[in-house]
Amino acid sequence: MMRVAAFLSLLCAAGVLPAQNPASPPSPAPAASRFVGSNACKTCHADVWLNFYKNPHFKSIASGQEPPERTGCEGCHGGAKAHIEARGGKATIPHAFSLMPPQQVLEDCLGCHARDLSRSNIRRSEHTQNGVACTGCHSIHHSATPKYLLAKKQSELCYTCHAAIRSQFEMPSKHRVNEGFVQCTDCHNPHGAFTATWRMAQRPRMIEQAMGGESPCLKCHVDKRGPFVFEHPSVRVEGCEICHSPHGSMNAKLLKRPVVFTLCLECHNGGGDGTRNAGVDIQSARHNLLDPKYQKCTTCHVRLHGSNSDQYFLR
Amino acid sequence: MRKPFDIREVLWGRLATCGGWSIRLLLACASLSAQQVVAPTPEPVGPARGENSGNYNITQSFEIGYRWSLVNGDLGEYRSDVNYRNGLRLLAGSITINSKDGHGHYFDSIALNTLGLGNDPYQSASLRIEKNRLYRYDMLWRLNDYYNPGLTVAGGLHAMDTIRRMQDHEITLLPQSHFRVRAGYSRDTQTGPALSSALEFDATGSGLPIFSNVRREWNEYRVGADADFAGFKFTILHRWDFYKEDTPYSLAGVVAASALNPPLIPGAITDATVLQGFQRSEPNHGRNPGWLGNLFSSRKRWALNARINYTSGRNDFALTEAATGTGRLGGAASRQIAVLGDAERPMLNGEFTVSLFPTARLTVVNSTAVSNLRIIGPSTYSEINTGTDLGTSVFFRYLRDRLVTNTTTANYRVTDWIAFFAGYAYTDRLVRTEEGFAIPAFASTTNDAYETSNRLQTGRAGVRIKPVKPLTVTLNGEIGRANNPLTPISDGNYHTLGGRVDYRVKKLQLSTSYGQVYNVGAPGLVTTYSSHSRSYTASASLAPNSWFALDASYVKMHLDTVTGLQFFAGPIRPQLQSDYSSFYISNIHAVNFGSRFEIAKRADVYVGYSITKDTGDGRATAAPANVTDPIQSLLSGAQTFPLTYQSPLVRVSVRISAKVRWNAAWQFYNYGETFHLFGYDQNFNAHTGYTSILWAF
Repeated sequence: MMRVAAFLSLLCAAGVLPAQNPASPPSPAPAASRFVGSNACKTCHADVWLNFYKNPHFKSIASGQEPPERTGCEGCHGGAKAHIEARGGKATIPHAFSLMPPQQVLEDCLGCHARDLSRSNIRRSEHTQNGVACTGCHSIHHSATPKYLLAKKQSELCYTCHAAIRSQFEMPSKHRVNEGFVQCTDCHNPHGAFTATWRMAQRPRMIEQAMGGESPCLKCHVDKRGPFVFEHPSVRVEGCEICHSPHGSMNAKLLKRPVVFTLCLECHNGGGDGTRNAGVDIQSARHNLLDPKYQKCTTCHVRLHGSNSDQYFLR
Repeated sequence: MRKPFDIREVLWGRLATCGGWSIRLLLACASLSAQQVVAPTPEPVGPARGENSGNYNITQSFEIGYRWSLVNGDLGEYRSDVNYRNGLRLLAGSITINSKDGHGHYFDSIALNTLGLGNDPYQSASLRIEKNRLYRYDMLWRLNDYYNPGLTVAGGLHAMDTIRRMQDHEITLLPQSHFRVRAGYSRDTQTGPALSSALEFDATGSGLPIFSNVRREWNEYRVGADADFAGFKFTILHRWDFYKEDTPYSLAGVVAASALNPPLIPGAITDATVLQGFQRSEPNHGRNPGWLGNLFSSRKRWALNARINYTSGRNDFALTEAATGTGRLGGAASRQIAVLGDAERPMLNGEFTVSLFPTARLTVVNSTAVSNLRIIGPSTYSEINTGTDLGTSVFFRYLRDRLVTNTTTANYRVTDWIAFFAGYAYTDRLVRTEEGFAIPAFASTTNDAYETSNRLQTGRAGVRIKPVKPLTVTLNGEIGRANNPLTPISDGNYHTLGGRVDYRVKKLQLSTSYGQVYNVGAPGLVTTYSSHSRSYTASASLAPNSWFALDASYVKMHLDTVTGLQFFAGPIRPQLQSDYSSFYISNIHAVNFGSRFEIAKRADVYVGYSITKDTGDGRATAAPANVTDPIQSLLSGAQTFPLTYQSPLVRVSVRISAKVRWNAAWQFYNYGETFHLFGYDQNFNAHTGYTSILWAF
């Protein structure tokens, strides 16, 4: 039983290709004599091996050109000679992922996967800082998805920890994540992201930006992108979240307030002196808020996201 | 209570005038029913290992079925929130083909997945084709049937019934080599009818409904390469994108402003504006070519990552508009407007990150980012209003946004069971606007310049504790101090606190968390602002065996904000009001439950329920009865928005044979507002469902 468990764990995290990250904690230098080849592993781990040709990490075996420490099972788990001689056991696996601390798992995987631009900020990502390493989301041998070896369907995987976000996607107004139209990774990079260019660049984090470093909202909502002669500065500087709740809202159009005039007045409330050269404009003195037509700001200010024709966004 | 202007009446009227009686008939039939959200069926079908054909292994499954729905209540809100409708669908499809030795002739793997094809409101297809060492191609196609009645933002004058289609293609050549070439193409289109509004004849008139036929198109082309040399990984990417919009606008029926906004102020002059003729054409073409360069290296004791990104944006536009009708005071009115111009927005972003690993237990990361954008644009505006030539004005705006930020984080693993992390960040943001206008007929120019700078400093700290293997405890906090936020509701002086406990073993997962964000406006602002949000979560997942699984969660989210207000209002004429505040309170309780169980190894049953309920601040009516001040009554009515949205569902999947399953499901939606804030009942309930056959062949 011990042997079965040990061999299962041997292959349990294999796949992330080589484990020779220079930044990983010191480990014994790979010696060719410690490597026995993946064929030795399949003797006991036939269940894993039978489908391993469907695994992206099978490339390392198919290639036939990688060194032993970057090939197949041993590419991730290290040389298996000691493991075989001991007739199994997790303790004899050089890289038993279920026993490794998150940082070491990360370094092992980055040995090959650091080459991708999307993972270039992984060392300072929120996930890394909170001890969520690669195997927290990826299941190398029992993946539920055809791509990226995710342990579950993407939204369910994220919901596992982010229950509050899940509840937002079940609100009446939401991005269609549960319906399969939008994925979390359309807006977020779970491996860490470059510094945001909106708000004060410190929050939010883990946001996958559009190519120009802009808010990810503009990747789909291209009509809001501009450039406009008359940009709404708060949209440009503070980002869409200044008015919208991007995951979901109890209010229509993902707005933060149910009635639009309250949303507008919370900024346009006298921070400036009413002229255009002193900060946020106050509401116009001609607008009597008790008149119903002035309670629906966007009936006239239809181009709130930016306009080329009118500085007050009227057309 | 008066029913507000109903956009559906206008839309239907518009369809009729377009000769769309057949379309109306179809819409009427559709409104008798609705649909589901529970498909496709997740249960597997066919042999798990697939079938072999030559040197390839193939798995495939398809689920074809019929969706149905029955909607009671507000169809517009249903379409906005759910939008599943009747019809035959390919609910899901999946094909995988894998070469068994990794040496296929043209490809080594193909993975195709589809969802909702055949007129579902949310459709997608993803495809990956890969040949080891030679190429990898990824495609993603998506469609969203988007409907929104827009009651919140414009009293029902705005609506959209559009289709958005998005597609992304990416091919990588030599994906496993030290030199990789990438190329990509993306496209995003939005088309369909919509209603908007226009303010005509004078600045104190009313916004009146207009019709538009949305036509937007965006295309992006990308070419790039990655190269690994001497331990460095270099990425360069060039892209071109082109945006085009030529949405035409026209009259959406003759509507009097007095019908939309009857005067509620005693003695106020009735707004006599009527729009009887309207045409607007507003083509604009934009392009945003850009470059991205990235350099990355990771060594034993350090790693670095440098990025530079430049995008040059330009948008050329023109607008012509002609409106006729009756002015606010009852006289005949007409207006012609012509606008011409272009806007430019060059953006430059750079970032340099250094990571140090002095020991195996310590990681220190420092990152410096710089962002700079400028927006420059003239807009030439000409207007003739009721026979009076108002001449031509050239408007000019310059907006600069410069941001510099430096962040340092440290992560130290003391032992295998406890680790600390901490960080400090400093950001300086400068926003400068300069704008002016010139009237060529007169030798005068007026310019306004405004500049503001904000500095934010934040500190973060946290600890991770793992006393036993299945148990993880995380605590963290952050404090931020900004000296001059751009807006009253921006991050000012804030702090966050968070905590999380996870217990995970193979068959059981328990988790609970707490988080709060408390933000107050920075000193110096004219008005006060504070926002306090708290969230509590608890979730459990149990999967004791292969035939039973249970998943449940509870979330409580609280938000209260108070904002000092200044605005103009009065029972007779508008006067500056400074003694009022905007309060907003939201208390959301969300429950999610799902359980799957197997019956006699032949049938799988899934039972689920979700409810999201905002209890507001507990009041019984929107505006408390004891509030007699009309201004306070108006503000009180928007302080909270109780709403319940719930959805139970049941799904049954029966295995007919090794390759065939029969599935059926029912899902119910109930949307219930308590206060009917818009003077119109948007509540609905809907029974939706589907039945399908899932098979592999």
